[in-house]
Amino acid sequence: MLRHLGSRLAQAAIASFGVLTIVFFVMRLSGDPTLLLVPEGASREQIAELRHELGFDRPLIVQYGAYLGDLLRLDLGESLVQRAPVATIVGHRIPYTLELAGGALIAALGIGLPAGVAMAVWRGGLIERGLAAIVLAGQSLPTFWSGILLILLFGVLLGWLPTSGADSLASLVMPSVALGALTMSTFARMTRIAVLDELQRDYVTAARARGLSLAATIARHVARNAAIPVVTVAALEIGNLLAGAVIVETVFAWPGIGQLAIQSIQARDFLVVQAIVLFVSLTYIGMNLLADLAYVAIDPRIRLAA
Amino acid sequence: MRLTCSIAVALVLLSGAARAEKDTLTIDLVADAATLDPQIQWDSESASVYRNIFDNLVTRDQSGKIVPQVATAWHYANDTTVVFDIRSDIKFQDGTKLTPDDVVFSVKRVTDPAFKSPQLSQFDQIVGAEVSGPSQVTLHTKTPYPVLLAQLTKLSVIPQATVQKLGDTAFNQHPLGSGPYKLRDWSRGVQITLDAQDGYWRGKPPFKTVIFRPVTDVSTRVADLRAGRADIVRGLGPDQAASLKTEKGLQLLGVPTERVAYIFINPQSGPTKDVRVRRAIAMAIDRDTIISALQQGYGKPVNEVLSPADFGYDPTIEPYPFDPDAARKLVKEAGAEGAELTFLTAPAYDRRLNEAVQQMLGDVGLKVSITMLDLPTYLKRRQGTPEEAGSISQGRWSCSCQDADGVIWPLFHTGSIWSKYSNPKFDAAVDSARATLDEKQRLADYHTAFEILREDVPAIGLFQDFAIYGARPQLKWTPTADEAFFVMDMHWQE
Amino acid sequence: MTGRLTAFTWVILGLLAAFAFMAIAAPLVAPYDPLRQSLLLRLRPPGTVTRAGSFLLGTDDLGRDLLSRIIFGARASFEVAMLSVSVSLVVGTALGLCAGWFRGWTAILIMRLVDTMLSIPAILLAVLTVAVLGPSFLNLILVLGLTRWPRYTRVAYASTLQVASLPYIRAAEMAGAGPARILGRHVLPNIAGPLMVVATTEFGLMILFEAGLSFLGLGIQPPTPSWGSIMSAGREYVARAWWMTVFPGLCLFVVVLCINLSGDWLRDRLDPRSRAR
Repeated sequence: MLRHLGSRLAQAAIASFGVLTIVFFVMRLSGDPTLLLVPEGASREQIAELRHELGFDRPLIVQYGAYLGDLLRLDLGESLVQRAPVATIVGHRIPYTLELAGGALIAALGIGLPAGVAMAVWRGGLIERGLAAIVLAGQSLPTFWSGILLILLFGVLLGWLPTSGADSLASLVMPSVALGALTMSTFARMTRIAVLDELQRDYVTAARARGLSLAATIARHVARNAAIPVVTVAALEIGNLLAGAVIVETVFAWPGIGQLAIQSIQARDFLVVQAIVLFVSLTYIGMNLLADLAYVAIDPRIRLAA
Repeated sequence: MRLTCSIAVALVLLSGAARAEKDTLTIDLVADAATLDPQIQWDSESASVYRNIFDNLVTRDQSGKIVPQVATAWHYANDTTVVFDIRSDIKFQDGTKLTPDDVVFSVKRVTDPAFKSPQLSQFDQIVGAEVSGPSQVTLHTKTPYPVLLAQLTKLSVIPQATVQKLGDTAFNQHPLGSGPYKLRDWSRGVQITLDAQDGYWRGKPPFKTVIFRPVTDVSTRVADLRAGRADIVRGLGPDQAASLKTEKGLQLLGVPTERVAYIFINPQSGPTKDVRVRRAIAMAIDRDTIISALQQGYGKPVNEVLSPADFGYDPTIEPYPFDPDAARKLVKEAGAEGAELTFLTAPAYDRRLNEAVQQMLGDVGLKVSITMLDLPTYLKRRQGTPEEAGSISQGRWSCSCQDADGVIWPLFHTGSIWSKYSNPKFDAAVDSARATLDEKQRLADYHTAFEILREDVPAIGLFQDFAIYGARPQLKWTPTADEAFFVMDMHWQE
Repeated sequence: MTGRLTAFTWVILGLLAAFAFMAIAAPLVAPYDPLRQSLLLRLRPPGTVTRAGSFLLGTDDLGRDLLSRIIFGARASFEVAMLSVSVSLVVGTALGLCAGWFRGWTAILIMRLVDTMLSIPAILLAVLTVAVLGPSFLNLILVLGLTRWPRYTRVAYASTLQVASLPYIRAAEMAGAGPARILGRHVLPNIAGPLMVVATTEFGLMILFEAGLSFLGLGIQPPTPSWGSIMSAGREYVARAWWMTVFPGLCLFVVVLCINLSGDWLRDRLDPRSRAR
């Protein structure tokens, strides 16, 4: 099992490194930030001078080497736009990103799982269709629209929740629901299928024959087996929850790394983008390894070595 | 329903009146400040925060006149030498005295190429700075430079000792100035909190605490304002302003600025090489409808590519009339019917204006295709060779110096990165206006320059742009044409 | 949802067909030119009748007929979704088939690439690519197609592994058929079901994804309407001109919902276990 984990980790490290390299070169193909850093009236000579000072006139491969050298010394560098250490800039956003991802997962699971179970149990009926429509609604509306409607309703009209920002638990509610709505239907549908699969197995029939109620059967047996695909999906979605929350973060003025990533791409603040990519891909890989371990915890029959 | 509403409003008003004083002012920014070191970034969001932490060498009053701040008086020793008298009663927020050495240090730091300041080109006409008396500083310029004082309204005075002790990176995180507010906390992306400075030399700052929050989405900023989460929001568009106009309990602060909206027309490449096509474009664009419908009245027509708030604006220049028939004729004459024009643009520019211009030019027989690029790519092409720069593009130009020199020199002088135009007579006129301190001479030069631009049409001015802020009605503030955002000039009145 | 074509399923399929017809026949159905502006008739509410015409669903922020824009917008939105799904379906399936058939290093390489792609949020990749290439219709398809293929690869890989061990496939291999022939003739038809299910869900997602990119200024470029670009322009006017977002939003919602429901129906129908029931 350790061997398996080791090889997965090695492969993962190579994958991360690949991502970083791709992003490094693609970013540099798209120009450099010099033009954004000079005032409108700057002359060609001033621009060339600044470009030289910033080191963007060096060959790409030299810049890449220098970057890797810094990275090996665990130095993420300094942002050209903000003139502050990249580690500080990105590090400051990570707690907010994790809060939002956590909130969204809770919202998605809290609604998606029970809905999925209900859809499986009352299969084919009106309840299933109604629930399916509600769950899918979250996924069928563009967040930039549903988000502003949420703000207008709960923030402005009713005044229950703060309209923007990240200064209290209350301000986490709306962005979490808006972001969670996107994955909620995936969870509901996965759960529905998994529960349906389990419900027709012999052990369920046997349990029911023993006189166990449906609810008890689900709680005791089905839930454990249906958990595996759900954990898989959760791990797969983590990348999107972390840095894919761009639109939610923009609409709700939530200071996460998604918004920072987009702004940094648009400002060609290379080092910040690279640090974010590194963070996201490492987290994604870590979460997927954890998911593998979770399978064992959920179902001891699974052996990782297999 | 209406009755309960008005009772509620009355109660709110009463409870407001009962409160002695408003402690905290909350401001919604369009984006987070990039830097708080006043000598690095000069984007309007960063500047609207850090300019409250620092004092400027000189400043502008409500009417736009340049008046003393850190410098009490100044005089020209000769055409390239200006002597400033420095106040001796100003203290930085750590209690140390502001000295002439700090002023010299501020000038030298921002003009040092090794410091890589993005603001360098605003100050690079200054070639020397020295302390010339116990409370006196002398600046030297390369040539006689009429815009020097206008540029110095943006020179924040920084404390030499602190900057040298902390180093540049740490000073950017923990800036310290002599201004009315000092930084309490900068939580990047979340909020910036400033505290009033006790014993500030210009008087008591109007609010104990000022909070700046970055809220990128304009609809969310509007919601913040309506829900009372923000006291004033920056960066409203004309349409948001129009929809807030009818809303009770809010006020709109709109001010004509030194920013001019214009359409660039490439005279060196493509179908617009023909001056007849450029004149046709000038006559095809219906500026009055753009101002009344798209700008909702937030814009004033201009006769040239300059805002009336700038020195050098010439009201005697005749703008091209809106005349689609004449434009169609000119296009036909030039044999340019159906010619394809590339409209280069970026998300930062008003999408609606792009599309409206596209249709107006389509109506006179020119086919416009809009090429949307992201901002860095757009700048690279727009500032690149004439072939890369597209046929037309829109812009909103402000030099933050309220002077024609900062507008038409970079836009149209031969060899400037923005210019795709070359006319020796125009160059001579703007060069002459740049190198003399004689205002009459300068106005005459700019008259010549604008006459030439009118003939050659390398761009047309659309309107004087407005800055629009939304605020709670109790906030009293008169925004100025230079788009400065000084909390010191605001106050709260229940 | 059962495999039979219930009345409910008919309604869903009928709605989808209606939208598809609207998209195809847009120039015949739309009452006005979707690009024709009239700045003096901006933001008029639904049902406005003027000398210039009657605007059933109102006008947008440049005074264009909203109904016509929604009809033409269906076209752009469907085109984007269809083409990008095709690109990612082809690329993803091909790679998945290869990984499942050849296994070993090929599989490790391809599946690690899948992990790599999945670890970077699609929206970041899209913004990055558009920054380099510039936003255009073709680039949009490429961006969407080339960021979404890993989903198909995963499904194709798993299904191919299952199918490849079936006796008749082995028999075909023994008979000397090359991998291309076996994969194309025998394996592909067997794994098409699950792939179609993924494709239907992705179709709806792609319409939404284009809308999201429009919000960031990177989607279908103006003045061409797509549902996403109409809505992202209209969200500034949520309070003042609700019709600009509500009508296209409703269309988007109905279409994505119908597609997802028909995807569920398709899966239940194709899934041999549920068919047996």
